[in-house]
Amino acid sequence: MRAAFSDTLVRLAKADPNVLLLTGDHGYALFDDFRRECPAQYINAGIAEQNMVGMAAGLARAGFRPFVYGLAAFIPVRVVEQIKLDVAHDQLPVIFIGDGAGFVYSHLGTSHQSTEDIACTRAIPNLAIYSPADRFEVTACMEMAYHTKSPVYLRMGKSDRGDVHIALPELKAGSMLEAKSGKFNDIAFIATGSLVRTAIDIAAATYPDATVWSAPFIKPLDSQQVTAICKQSKVLVVLEEHSVLGGLGSAITEIASEFAPIRILRIGINDRFSHYCGTYEYLLKEHGLDRTAIELKIQDFLAAN
Amino acid sequence: MISQNKVFDTKVLRKTVLDMAFAGSTVHIGCAFSIIELLAVLYRNHLRYPDNDPQALDRDYFILSKGHGVMAQYACLRELGWLKDEAFTGYFADGSDLKGLSDSRILGLEVTSGSLGHGFSVGVGMAMGVKLRGTNQKTYALVGDGEINEGPIWEGALFAAHHELKNFMVIVDENGFQAMGSTQDVLKLGSIQAKFESFGFEAITIDGHNEEAIDTAIKQLWASASVSPKALIAKTVKGKGVPFMENNNIWHYTRLDSETYAQALSSVSESEQ
Repeated sequence: MRAAFSDTLVRLAKADPNVLLLTGDHGYALFDDFRRECPAQYINAGIAEQNMVGMAAGLARAGFRPFVYGLAAFIPVRVVEQIKLDVAHDQLPVIFIGDGAGFVYSHLGTSHQSTEDIACTRAIPNLAIYSPADRFEVTACMEMAYHTKSPVYLRMGKSDRGDVHIALPELKAGSMLEAKSGKFNDIAFIATGSLVRTAIDIAAATYPDATVWSAPFIKPLDSQQVTAICKQSKVLVVLEEHSVLGGLGSAITEIASEFAPIRILRIGINDRFSHYCGTYEYLLKEHGLDRTAIELKIQDFLAAN
Repeated sequence: MISQNKVFDTKVLRKTVLDMAFAGSTVHIGCAFSIIELLAVLYRNHLRYPDNDPQALDRDYFILSKGHGVMAQYACLRELGWLKDEAFTGYFADGSDLKGLSDSRILGLEVTSGSLGHGFSVGVGMAMGVKLRGTNQKTYALVGDGEINEGPIWEGALFAAHHELKNFMVIVDENGFQAMGSTQDVLKLGSIQAKFESFGFEAITIDGHNEEAIDTAIKQLWASASVSPKALIAKTVKGKGVPFMENNNIWHYTRLDSETYAQALSSVSESEQ
């Protein structure tokens, strides 16, 4: 997934000399290829994210196409106001890459764990939010972000969960992709980012008729598609490695409540910080986001129906 | 060559500010009055807008980072013919364009400000873009002395010096006040010139109401062979031009009534140039 990100960025930058990569002193190994292939388009802005985003706005106004890279805990969360005022207000074509979203930095603690970034950015007008699940979605999302010529926050979470598609999908802004086919059924799954793979595995093992949708877009979100899925299902399970407040689960629930109310189980991070550190898998367990815990939550939810 | 060829009479600019502040019953008059001479000199002698086009791709960039002084900039845009008189008589009317803080959707305003410490970084980005393009456009960012409390100013200063953005100039409106009091009482700034110099800027301090001194200093900074970014520290008076407003910080937030409006107009028209 990270290789797909780097390859796509290098390809876009080589094709368009106006593409610039700005980093807040992060991405050491990730940008080796970029620095070798496009050294004049690489700017390490230092550990100064607020200035970096303001500069990206200035560069965009001067005709450049900045990609602003940082850890999701900092880009976008530390610079929400710069994104709102300097970039989104005038729909400048700046692409924000928030890497390591969720619990990727499982040993480092709260400062590096990003579980509120979607909630912080969803209400900013003009800003799209992409959340790719595998290397194919990363490539397609990067291409789309470049071609939309308006502000995008691209959220990159745990990158080694395996593919969810077998080839490069064709993206339509706001649309979800079928990651596992099924029938119209009692239960349907919508997941984003790292938890799409988990949703597929759970459905394949326990709910073989259920369709699993991957949501590479948190915003915009095709409300007709969401409504159609809700109308064809009795219950919906939404999964994300983000707070249950203000993320994909919230966005889906908002649409469903207006057009096709059904019971929706929002699986994500409950409203608290991590208590302990450990491996990524450990932290998923601490927050009840490992496969076993998720399966139990679904069983309980169905039993309570 | 400067294409505008306008006078930018500071008496006219101050009168325009008073008229609109009275029409809109608005605040921030003192913030606008401290930068009148700075803007007059910049627009008259320095900022290049080819074909009088505020969107010309090869224009100089002027960023009013301290958006609170926007009425002074509106007054200049009126001189340029980019804003019409109706915008001034109808200031703050329901559904009108001109806001109390700068909004980049107004032609001639490069950034949306009011939240402080933003425009400086945008300007540094523009100057970096100019350097990458290899053109000779100049970028100016006018900040308030209160505004430089903000951290991103100093992040951007490090970047501008490190990347030798010699076509970038910060202008500091050092009027000695911020919203709630004097800069000395709120958060001591010490020598602003020394601070920017220590960050790698070439800096000059001048009387920010002496048009000749402003003009000379800007020319001197641009004439420098140094690759450093430039800093012009303008010692100014908040509320300059109306004696009862000068150095009286209540005019950050006080609105004009008929009586103070008439008194202020009379002070401005009687003042020496």
